[in-house]
Amino acid sequence: MKSVALALLALFAQRLLGLPGLPSWSSEILLPMALIVALSLKRHERRWPYEALLLGLGWDAVLEPVVGPGGIAWSAAALCLSAASRLVADRSPKAWLGFGAVGTVVVLVVQWLALLPLGLGTSWNPPSMLRTVLFTALWCGAVGTISRLDLPTHWRAYRARKLR
Amino acid sequence: MVIMRASFLRTALLWSLLEILAAWQVRTADGPILLTWLRAVIHPVVATADRVGDLTVDVGLGIHDLQRVITDNRRLRLQLEEIRARELLLDEDLQALREASRLAGPTSEFEPGARVARCAFRDLSAGTMEVRTESRVVIPRDAAVMTKGGLIGRVVRSEGRRHWLQMLTHVTAAVAVRTTDGSLNGLALGTGTEALTVAYVPRQGHLARGVVLVTSGGDGIFPPGIPAVEVIRVRETEDPFLEVRAVPTVNLKTVRVVLILPDWSPENSGKEQ
Repeated sequence: MKSVALALLALFAQRLLGLPGLPSWSSEILLPMALIVALSLKRHERRWPYEALLLGLGWDAVLEPVVGPGGIAWSAAALCLSAASRLVADRSPKAWLGFGAVGTVVVLVVQWLALLPLGLGTSWNPPSMLRTVLFTALWCGAVGTISRLDLPTHWRAYRARKLR
Repeated sequence: MVIMRASFLRTALLWSLLEILAAWQVRTADGPILLTWLRAVIHPVVATADRVGDLTVDVGLGIHDLQRVITDNRRLRLQLEEIRARELLLDEDLQALREASRLAGPTSEFEPGARVARCAFRDLSAGTMEVRTESRVVIPRDAAVMTKGGLIGRVVRSEGRRHWLQMLTHVTAAVAVRTTDGSLNGLALGTGTEALTVAYVPRQGHLARGVVLVTSGGDGIFPPGIPAVEVIRVRETEDPFLEVRAVPTVNLKTVRVVLILPDWSPENSGKEQ
């Protein structure tokens, strides 16, 4: 339930990032990538990433002209990251950053491939792609760092001290 | 391994379904892009089937044409052979006609009614020959028939363009012959074989092998002076006559054109002389 709420929140935020008035690069961050990275790094069980598929479909419904390619792209990214997480033991913010970059590349490439036969293929724009990869990686790294800080524990400790 | 395969298949299936779902939403000028995909999938199959059909038809037509060409080639080859054979025959005929003309030319008595005929059939063992003239003519029985090489025989039946000859080798044929200088006379008798017997040649006569005997006209059938037989053997026996064997001066196997002399008769010859 928490994942669904986070996904909806991420999509909503992603939608907001594209609002007129905000910097053009702001919409280039893939906010839901942090969820995919989290799923691959924190989950221990091995199963097909249906959550990523649903997230991709949601992405398509909110941000894309057709529903479908996003599901493919995001599930592909989740599969790649899931496979990579078995090879990489590191769970530090750096790993979050790297996983975010890899996932972003996979999403962009697979989405481009999936859109290609539909005649809706986006043209390659290397600077934009690089920015997307960079910002998303940084975003994932930031989420990883915050996750590492374990803020709820600190918050609970702080409340306990104050109540005393 | 099985899990991986199942996962792979599940992924492929899901992604395919999603791609189809996306394609269903995309519209082009020709309709949904899904239909374009279907056309793109079906078109090569249809085009290939079409090409294969065309190829089959072309191959069929090619085979048919090849058969026709082979048949035509065979027919043309046969025609060519026939033309060559005809050319050879015509060449021989022309040569024979020239020879017949040369033969008939100096003999004024042959010329007026002489008919050229062509050999259609001959049976050497039976001693008969069928000749055909160019037009329908009535040839009197016993008309002499000759060619450049000499005497062939006489007409025994005439019917329109077809005329049957009795060759001088016929078992019942008889030709009065003599030497060219007229010193010896005899009667060449057919034996049913290639050789003839020359009878009634006196023992005191000088006759050697290779001598050509010409018709004497004494039989009242054949005009005098036509080469008839060539002596091949002379033997003396207890009889008062020599035993003489001779062969026709004409090679009866290769005769193609003959000259029929229907107008000659001893009476006419006598008058002219």
